Amino acid sequence: MEYSNEDRNRRITQLRKGILELAVMGVLYHERHYGYSLVRVLSGSGSISLKEGTIYPILARLDRDGLVRSEWVESGQGPPRKYYALTSSGRQLFDDLNQEFDLLVSLVQRKWKAPEQSEHARKRLVVRKG
Amino acid sequence: MNNYPEAVAKIANDYLERVKLQLRLVPVHDQQEFLRELQSHLYEAYRQMPGEDDVGRILAVLRNLGEPAEVVSDRLPGAMVRSGARRSLPLYIMGGILIAMFGIPLGFGGVGVLVGLLFALAGIVIAYYATAGSILLAGAMSMLLALTRMFLPHLWDKLVTFGFIQMNGPVADFLDRLSPSEQGFSMILFASVFIASGLGMLRLGRYLLRGLHFLFILVFDWMRRLAQSVRAKLRRDNRERPHLGAVSFVSNGQ
Repeated sequence: MEYSNEDRNRRITQLRKGILELAVMGVLYHERHYGYSLVRVLSGSGSISLKEGTIYPILARLDRDGLVRSEWVESGQGPPRKYYALTSSGRQLFDDLNQEFDLLVSLVQRKWKAPEQSEHARKRLVVRKG
Repeated sequence: MNNYPEAVAKIANDYLERVKLQLRLVPVHDQQEFLRELQSHLYEAYRQMPGEDDVGRILAVLRNLGEPAEVVSDRLPGAMVRSGARRSLPLYIMGGILIAMFGIPLGFGGVGVLVGLLFALAGIVIAYYATAGSILLAGAMSMLLALTRMFLPHLWDKLVTFGFIQMNGPVADFLDRLSPSEQGFSMILFASVFIASGLGMLRLGRYLLRGLHFLFILVFDWMRRLAQSVRAKLRRDNRERPHLGAVSFVSNGQ
């Protein structure tokens, strides 16, 4: 049974959603950013096409959980920008999540070997086929 | 302030209005903060969007940003929780005093009226059924006495002698003129009328209950419609409001 394109896209979106929050924390770990600059960094770093509006719910969630702090900074070129930075608890959580993520990546990318079939099992299969 | 072509300002303001509509349950301060943030995003994105066609550029920016409902998702509950946590103590105290001064008495008054009405209606129902039961009981007792008069006259006489049965006035005069069996028969007729009335009242009681049920439904339906119309009016007012307050794109009048 083959999966549909719709099903594939849905699963990819689901996978990205979970990882995007970690990616946002990863970017904010090293430098503070405002919403648009965060989008530029994330979409510029790889081939992932990012719906820009998805950043704001993530930032709202992180803010609500006290993982980021924000401040308004005047911009010389336009309206003020709201900068976000990870709080100390956010940094601590990112370290933990990052370790967990590495484990998951190594689990997914591990080369699994199929167990060898015993002579007996092979014979039984042949008998059933006949 | 930022200057945009008029068409761009209109499109961007329309988008911000739609976002604001999504945020209608969020406290005003949080609404304004998020709208300012979005305004900043739109400005940056519009500035960096390549192309000559201004309208095409802002439409591309909004397309990249996504639908307002997606952009505000996760913000509603968070903002509501935060608004509760960040409210200052003096506001809490003032709110408490106002509620104590006006809200509680009015609330108690309203609840009192409602409870009073409910008790009055319950009283009517109870009184009705008590009356029906009494009439039915009186009919049954009369029937029993009539049968006693007809078939156990010596027991009847004893009951009269001991004062358990007392009859005076025109009823006694009328019954004295009749034979015991005739007395019994007329009492059976009398008892039958009472029993029929009691049973009739019990039967009609169902209509009373249905009527009260209908009345309750009518009142609650009226209250529901009133609440709906108020909500619709508030929503309409929100939609028709032309300005965003502190957050809006300013056209350069091109």
